Amino acid sequence: MGSSDEKVVAVIMVGGPTKGTRFRPLSLNIPKPLFPLAGHPMVHHPINACKRIPNLAQIYLVGFYEEREFALYVSSISNELRVPVRYLKEDKPHGSAGGLYKFRDLIMEDSPSHIFLLNCDVCCSFPLPEMLEAHRSYGGIGTILVIKVSAESASQFGELVADPVTNELLHYTEKPETFVSDRINCGVYIFTPEIFTAIQDVSTQRKDRANLRRMSSFEALQSATRSLPADFVRLDQDILSPLAGKKKLYTYETMDYWEQIKTPGMSLKCSALYLGHYRHTSPHLLAIGDGTKSATIIGDVYIHPSAKVHPTAKLGPNVSISANARVGPGARLISCILLDDVEVKENGVVIHSIVGWKSSIGRWSRVQGGGDYNAKLGITILGESVAVEDEVVVINSIVLPNKTLNISVQEEIIL
Amino acid sequence: MKALILVGGFGTRLRPLTLSVPKPLVEFANKPMILHQIEALKAIGVTEVVLAINYQPEVMMNFLKEFEEKVGIKITCSQETEPLGTAGPLALAKDKLIDDSGSPFFVLNSDVISDYPFKEMIEFHNAHGGEASIMVTKVDEPSKYGVVVMEEATGKVERFVEKPKLFVGNKINAGIYLLNPSVLDRIELKPTSIEKEIFPKIAAEEKLYAMTLPGFWMDIGQPKDYITGLTLYLDSLRKKSPSKLASGSNIVGNVLVHETAKIGEGCLIGPDVAIGPGCVIESGVRLSRCTMMRGVRIKNHACISSSIIGWHSTVGQWARVENMTILGEDVHVGDEVYSNGGVVLPHKEIKSSILKPEIVM
Repeated sequence: MGSSDEKVVAVIMVGGPTKGTRFRPLSLNIPKPLFPLAGHPMVHHPINACKRIPNLAQIYLVGFYEEREFALYVSSISNELRVPVRYLKEDKPHGSAGGLYKFRDLIMEDSPSHIFLLNCDVCCSFPLPEMLEAHRSYGGIGTILVIKVSAESASQFGELVADPVTNELLHYTEKPETFVSDRINCGVYIFTPEIFTAIQDVSTQRKDRANLRRMSSFEALQSATRSLPADFVRLDQDILSPLAGKKKLYTYETMDYWEQIKTPGMSLKCSALYLGHYRHTSPHLLAIGDGTKSATIIGDVYIHPSAKVHPTAKLGPNVSISANARVGPGARLISCILLDDVEVKENGVVIHSIVGWKSSIGRWSRVQGGGDYNAKLGITILGESVAVEDEVVVINSIVLPNKTLNISVQEEIIL
Repeated sequence: MKALILVGGFGTRLRPLTLSVPKPLVEFANKPMILHQIEALKAIGVTEVVLAINYQPEVMMNFLKEFEEKVGIKITCSQETEPLGTAGPLALAKDKLIDDSGSPFFVLNSDVISDYPFKEMIEFHNAHGGEASIMVTKVDEPSKYGVVVMEEATGKVERFVEKPKLFVGNKINAGIYLLNPSVLDRIELKPTSIEKEIFPKIAAEEKLYAMTLPGFWMDIGQPKDYITGLTLYLDSLRKKSPSKLASGSNIVGNVLVHETAKIGEGCLIGPDVAIGPGCVIESGVRLSRCTMMRGVRIKNHACISSSIIGWHSTVGQWARVENMTILGEDVHVGDEVYSNGGVVLPHKEIKSSILKPEIVM
């Protein structure tokens, strides 16, 4: 059992601009980790969860976005949490283990006893103190957060087998073709500093192999034309798979929600999950109203303090309204995200949609998605500064920035 | 003078409305379709109207008894027991159409809406001295119809060409005829087409004349044309009796609102809207190019365009109903539901959106 003054650091992998293309057109304007879910940047939710870790010394964000893109957010969140948050820029993608290893000296500066590693694009309750406690009791070098999913959906993720009694990780395989297990890797880990040795070993082996100037069939599978550089180390295939069954890695199963946020559709679903989470953790963030002095609110709704919502409007469930948005008389919003400076005019309707920055929805206009969060056109997305004119209907469509729609569209991508 | 109106069958093309009401009784601009014709006939001195009908004569007659007195005209039914085409019903009603005066009689297709220039037609008929007159109307795409080829100066009909591939003319049969009683001698009591069998014979004898219809014309036998017809009708009403149309800051273009209908605050109504008796239009509602039948309720913030809302139906808050949505009688569209071209049979509740035109049984 660890002592109470052991320090813990958290590392959140945020990726970079060449990643997250499936998040377009929303990622054309903003790094995906800063896209707001339930009114706060995606990365805010794991950061906020870190607050519950005892003896948290530092939070690092690791990615290959430009530093300036995170500068504002990092400084404001450091102040808010009163924990230092720092953005570390990789010169190129290193894989999640490689990225961690590259900054090992900084991460180990305060000699932490444990390192949390979180992927930014997962949505869950982040039960970090519970994981830490479990990890200490297992005594391995790492513990992985896992969840049970349906057998059909498991193959999209890293499938793993754990010992039902000891929780030891027995087998790990990334996106298998055949069914291995219905337990999957949630992309949330806790490690002891020994993890750096394990990454170092992979890196060294790879250098040796590269020196032989021959490509193993394993590598050929991953990269048809070139072998992986020595400093590119993936956590799943390169670390978790080889170390499974060696009494080094353990699992902690969450019974809460978990989703991966790869697409705008999933961001709408995850926004709902985080709003639901506020019910338990921060109910003051949720709007209330019955249509007398303020708008009628159904279910979980977040309204930024600077947004203006007319009392005759009706909002919810699952609505998030960002800064300076204006929602006019008689507007109706269901399951949607309005980004900064959006205007919804009188009697406008927005359902299962994301409305981009500075966009406007005309009088009696209707912007609607079918609500299938996994389908390509399952929700409607308006990019930045899109104007939907009065009485126009936009259904199951994606509209790229700076377009004006004066006729109705359905199931279209508008460049 | 007498007149025969060809009412015909079940009006399947105007379903689901005609599942509740016989087609001639379906309201158009807040008045049963057939009443537009009967009133126009009465105005030029027709004293008796015969309805050639092949189903539900009881329903029709119950309803029309009321109007016999109100309009001051005799209305009778001539019921076919088997379909007789467009000419056979004339033979069936022969005894009712012929009287001692020997004057010509009108024959109208019940689906046709226009300014009914019957007076001009009588003058035209008397002037040419032939056996029969037909109204023709100019269309943009004559290839879809039966074209009437005629001498432009006199109107003497030369021939009929059904759906011509090459342009032969742009005037089509408008379904309004004025016939001498002698025409009845040409028709046997069997299924016969007046357009294909009777008129060509009269034309061959150079006794058939066509008059180009002044003003608008529309066959409103199907929903799309019903909505277009309303636009044309209201446009004509604007010229003839503008005081019948609604006015106010919430009204755009031509709108007909029944005196017993109620309209809430912050609505924008028009153009080309008819709101029937007892309708309630709540606040913040947008209506354009649509018809509300009797007793309809449109709830707050809903938006309706290019649609027909059947009797006693309701449309929920923030619902959107458009693109030739036709709601039958007593249909209820839920809050926030979107209907894009839904055709809904009577007594249904619509709880989820209809994204593509479809029929809801």
